[in-house]
Amino acid sequence: MSAEELEKVFVSLVDFSWKKYNERQHNTHMDELLLGAVIASTVEQGYSLIDLNSDGVNHFLRFEHLPSKTRLIFQLTNQSEDLVTAKVLGRLARVVIGYGQMVQNPGAIWQALKSEFKSGFLDAAEPGVITCDADLTSGYIYVQVPLIIDLDTYFSSNYEVNYPMLQQHIGATVHSLSKYLRGRLGA
Amino acid sequence: MLSFLNQFKHGQEMRESKDEILVGELVRAMARLKTPAIGFNANTGAQMIHFKPIGDPILNSIVIIVDRKTGGSMIQQAVIGSKATIQVQAEVKNYLSDPDDLVAMYRTDIANIFKMPMLGDVKLDHQMNSVFATKRVMIDIDDYILKGEESIARMTQLITSIVGELKQKLTQYKKA
Repeated sequence: MSAEELEKVFVSLVDFSWKKYNERQHNTHMDELLLGAVIASTVEQGYSLIDLNSDGVNHFLRFEHLPSKTRLIFQLTNQSEDLVTAKVLGRLARVVIGYGQMVQNPGAIWQALKSEFKSGFLDAAEPGVITCDADLTSGYIYVQVPLIIDLDTYFSSNYEVNYPMLQQHIGATVHSLSKYLRGRLGA
Repeated sequence: MLSFLNQFKHGQEMRESKDEILVGELVRAMARLKTPAIGFNANTGAQMIHFKPIGDPILNSIVIIVDRKTGGSMIQQAVIGSKATIQVQAEVKNYLSDPDDLVAMYRTDIANIFKMPMLGDVKLDHQMNSVFATKRVMIDIDDYILKGEESIARMTQLITSIVGELKQKLTQYKKA
């Protein structure tokens, strides 16, 4: 083979490698792409990001709607970081969405909530189960629900985000959680 | 369910969350510019966010580091305000595989590699297949948060002007 032909072969090998590398990179970025999309969507809805945290596997977000002092909390976990899993099962993520309201006497209200509704007594694995939680330091009672979402619903292969769909899904969940919390608090 | 509420810093005052609020506004502004966030690295000192400019023919990625300098305490907030440095780094990536192109790429701008950027300066740097342009500016956080569309407009203007300047410096390094 001539030098030119050898270089052409080398070029094709490098091109193929870049393509496969970028495919893997895109898949590993999916959870943080979701994190960014949730931040952008929620801030767009009038909430301020007040906390951003990660333990390496789970990502945690906390927002506050400053005029009403209501809060939203998110736990986001990528369930298909491995490309093979993503291709076979789809790109799935576990998302826990919580809605919190500031109350006058959180300690008393927390005690009054029946134990079966408190999150510490329930199986975390089941999606769609609404549980209660409390942050007594800052006076908030939360309700939260775990969901499993298909990331391909929100993201295309070139990082484009379907913000209206994400906002609609977050909005629908928050609406249901706030209604549930108001019902539980008897407001 | 095991509570994840203990992952958050409870009882903190709103002024301690100003850098997070700024990050939220930044991510929202970048999303409007079709540059979604794809990576986060947050610690108590600085927050680094990695963005992907979609459809940009020149830039491969943008990294913004928000480093809060003052305003953590009530006295600092009252006397100096909430100052932060914002470092913006734009990257051109060349998917080069031709050996001649690779050699040519490293001949460019050697002097710049050793240049230490002053506040407001642009520094160019080569690493592997990428060329980076970096600029750092100091801002008052209060100008960019909690003022609705006014703060978004300011944030967007700040970012577009810095990224535009960096892109101008990087365009010459993008290979077809």
